[in-house]
Amino acid sequence: MTFASRQALWGYLLVVPVLLVLLGLVAYPFFYAIYISFTSRVVGDPGDWVGLANFRYLIGQSSFTRTIANTVTMVVVTGVLKLVIGLALALLLNEQIKGQGIFRAFVLLPWAMPGFVAFLVWRLLFVPVGGGVNLVLTETGIYPEIVDWLGQRSTAMPAVIVATTWRGFPFWCISFLAALQNVPKELYEAAKIDGASAWQRFWSVTVPSIRPVILVVILLSSIWTSNSFENIWLMTQGGPSDATIVFPVLAYFGMQTQRLGEAAAVSVAMVPALLILVFFVTALIRDDE
Amino acid sequence: MEASGGPRAGIDRRNQRPWWRQPVVRLLGIYLVLFLVALLILFPIYWMVTISLKLPRDIYRLPSLIPTAPTWDNYVELLATEGYLLNIRNSLIVALSTTVVSLLIASFAAYSIVRFRYRFKGLVGRLILFAYLMPSSLLFIPLSIIVAELRLGNSIHGLVIVYLTFAIPLSTWLLAGYFRGVPPDLEEQAMVDGTSRVGALFRILLPLSMPGLVAVGIFTFTAAWNELLFALIFITSEDIRTVPLALQNLITGDVFLWGPIMAGAVLSALPVMILYFLAQRFMVQGLTAGSVKG
Repeated sequence: MTFASRQALWGYLLVVPVLLVLLGLVAYPFFYAIYISFTSRVVGDPGDWVGLANFRYLIGQSSFTRTIANTVTMVVVTGVLKLVIGLALALLLNEQIKGQGIFRAFVLLPWAMPGFVAFLVWRLLFVPVGGGVNLVLTETGIYPEIVDWLGQRSTAMPAVIVATTWRGFPFWCISFLAALQNVPKELYEAAKIDGASAWQRFWSVTVPSIRPVILVVILLSSIWTSNSFENIWLMTQGGPSDATIVFPVLAYFGMQTQRLGEAAAVSVAMVPALLILVFFVTALIRDDE
Repeated sequence: MEASGGPRAGIDRRNQRPWWRQPVVRLLGIYLVLFLVALLILFPIYWMVTISLKLPRDIYRLPSLIPTAPTWDNYVELLATEGYLLNIRNSLIVALSTTVVSLLIASFAAYSIVRFRYRFKGLVGRLILFAYLMPSSLLFIPLSIIVAELRLGNSIHGLVIVYLTFAIPLSTWLLAGYFRGVPPDLEEQAMVDGTSRVGALFRILLPLSMPGLVAVGIFTFTAAWNELLFALIFITSEDIRTVPLALQNLITGDVFLWGPIMAGAVLSALPVMILYFLAQRFMVQGLTAGSVKG
């Protein structure tokens, strides 16, 4: 055996265990989910091929259109908030100031907290009696009345968005900060010499330099947020009625009714959007060769 | 320095700055904003801790920012009557097993991807990235059927197997990023001296990558420790509930036991947050700076 082919053989052998797990536990279930979504499967009965019937049924459901709207709102609003807060904070933390290390550590706290803990705490914070949000708002006189934030349609989604942003922005901030610290100082010096204002320097030096990181973070976070289950589940369970229902929660409810074909169709309905996001991530992230 | 305007122009401009652009004001502004952000970050954490130290009457009847009569009662109740120690034990078993299995086979795969040359390597890399991005919410329905057919439902080892779906891509992805930063010279030297390729992994690369292995281990561990959706679907018996499952169960009852829930939150968050702090530097590098084009 030549050196090259012996090398290749070892390469394959070492990667086989992971490959088997990924093919068996990720790739196979992925295609299996797509298959199930085209069948009338229920728990205990594989069912028959029904074509697009499950999807047609879903489109007719108001909870499904609500799910699409809520998921899009969730991803876009939290995305914009996390981008603005994360970038602004990263720029502030990138300044040469005292105590920078302490603030960096603070920023990491929500991210280091387990998600289930963070959303349980936020659920408690929004409770009418005993919740911290109402207490602070009434004590400081900002808003004198007690609000049942998670219990009414108009405020439930904003409340979940606040909690999701609180938990999510540190990842953005820290990623941007790492990228900012890699921008060569000479670029800023050169721009200064050319007479660029701080605003101009931001748009002509900072943004172009960290654009790849911004794009990857937006894409990754969109994938994670559109599929996050625990923020909604622990705070509202999709309620009140369907005010905060999102794809994973609707699929979970579908599974509880034991109608697996329809439940799978809920998850699979996201696949086209997911594939588009994944495509862009793979284009941006460095290949191994 | 002042190439275009001449030395005078620079000095003049500085004097003509409006008050809100003076360096002192600017610095104060930055600190004020950072202080407010720190407050917003700390408040929920503070609330978690105070509620965990309050009795129900202090939570509901006399809401206050500071606990008037702090007590450990909630912790005692949680550990004594809710069987929280059992939940912690279950979570530890699940998270540790997931981490050990993942690290072992992920380090083989990462080594293969970073150091070997063969056809379809790009494809393997793509598959790992694809699996890393694959959401659990898409997999739980087919996995529930597969796990039931394998008769692994409602068991700790069944849960560990399911957790590999996110733990393996995560650890392989992060480890490959770390290995890439280790120069191959030492391994090559060892192989010239007669060490096999696998020997070079165990004797050279893995010992050199200890900090990376520890960090990746911490991330895999916390990912498994924090997981809720799969646990909700695959675990039905009370005695094998993990921590997130036990706490979400306290919330779906008729009466919300906020005191014990927050005590449980503190107990489950604290160790993980400390671990995360130790590992975060590496995570950020691995996830963004090191793996992004540009």
